[in-house]
Amino acid sequence: MTKAELTAHITTTFSGQVTVIENTQPEPYFIVKPEDLVAFARFIHDDSALQLTFLMNLAGADTGERYEVVYNVCSYQLKHRIFFKIQLPHDNPEFDTVIQVWPGANWFEREVWELFGMTVRNHPNLTRFLLEDDWNEGFPLRKGWTGTDFIPLPDRG
Amino acid sequence: MGLIKKLPVYTEHIPGGSLVTTSVNSVLTMAQAKSLWYLLFGTACCAIELMATGASRYDFDRLGMIFRASPRQADIMLVAGTITKKMAPRVKRIYDQMAQPRYVLAMGGCAIGGGPFYYDCYSVLKGVDKIIPVDVFVPGCPPRPEALLQGCLEVGKKIRTLKLDEWS
Ligand code: SF4
Repeated sequence: MTKAELTAHITTTFSGQVTVIENTQPEPYFIVKPEDLVAFARFIHDDSALQLTFLMNLAGADTGERYEVVYNVCSYQLKHRIFFKIQLPHDNPEFDTVIQVWPGANWFEREVWELFGMTVRNHPNLTRFLLEDDWNEGFPLRKGWTGTDFIPLPDRG
Repeated sequence: MGLIKKLPVYTEHIPGGSLVTTSVNSVLTMAQAKSLWYLLFGTACCAIELMATGASRYDFDRLGMIFRASPRQADIMLVAGTITKKMAPRVKRIYDQMAQPRYVLAMGGCAIGGGPFYYDCYSVLKGVDKIIPVDVFVPGCPPRPEALLQGCLEVGKKIRTLKLDEWS
């Protein structure tokens, strides 16, 4: 399917609400509501016209105003790819796991939890694996984070 | 006989050969300087340059440097690459497992002081000398194989100056 067909198919067939982000990339990009996340994931995974069965990447982001979790999924069968993201507030960011849809999300979600401090609901094993075992300096990928030997890049003008 | 010429020796020629008198210290330090088996310890991109140095064009083996995958058999640890804070306790532990006398060569900007990860980085140790003693630093990102070879020769020179009771 082309980008326009993918966009039209997803916005018309998915019963929840998705917002389309206009961009010049070859793949369509959507914003999904956090409460619709699992339903949306299940829909694009199972829909016979989409078959987005492979989670290529899942990444957190801190834009300054809010947190985002960006998903990048593709279909080996139909050779297309989409992006979508959810937006979370700065206070008490929580989102649902999508492991039951794409088992590969497991470690990605742990990483997002560990580095951004976003809680992943229903995750089977939310434990630390990237930072040191006795790390207690918070969530280093949050905006404005600093640690004991953290040296910010000097402003060279 | 090339090696003998480099030692402080007293030679007495006898029929069918020679008798050589020399000091244990000089023989031992030379033997060690000429057979520095290195611990394969590549943690990032510098390791690729280390492999290039070990391969046929630069040929580490001609210096008597053969890689060992076990710290028990290694004389020198070539720290080739970024050491993250998570890795740091393991580095220390591997260093402690090496038999004495042991030497450390810090290869590349990362091992010397954090390199490109010095600023704006929460995860990288800013210099491997913060956790283990380093004998020779080889700067570069990554250092050329020639630089690494010279660094290893410098370790050899340092070993040649040691006295037996200084070995540790
Ligand atoms: S010094 Fe440069 S080449 Fe060496 S490990 Fe660091 S980043 Fe890689």
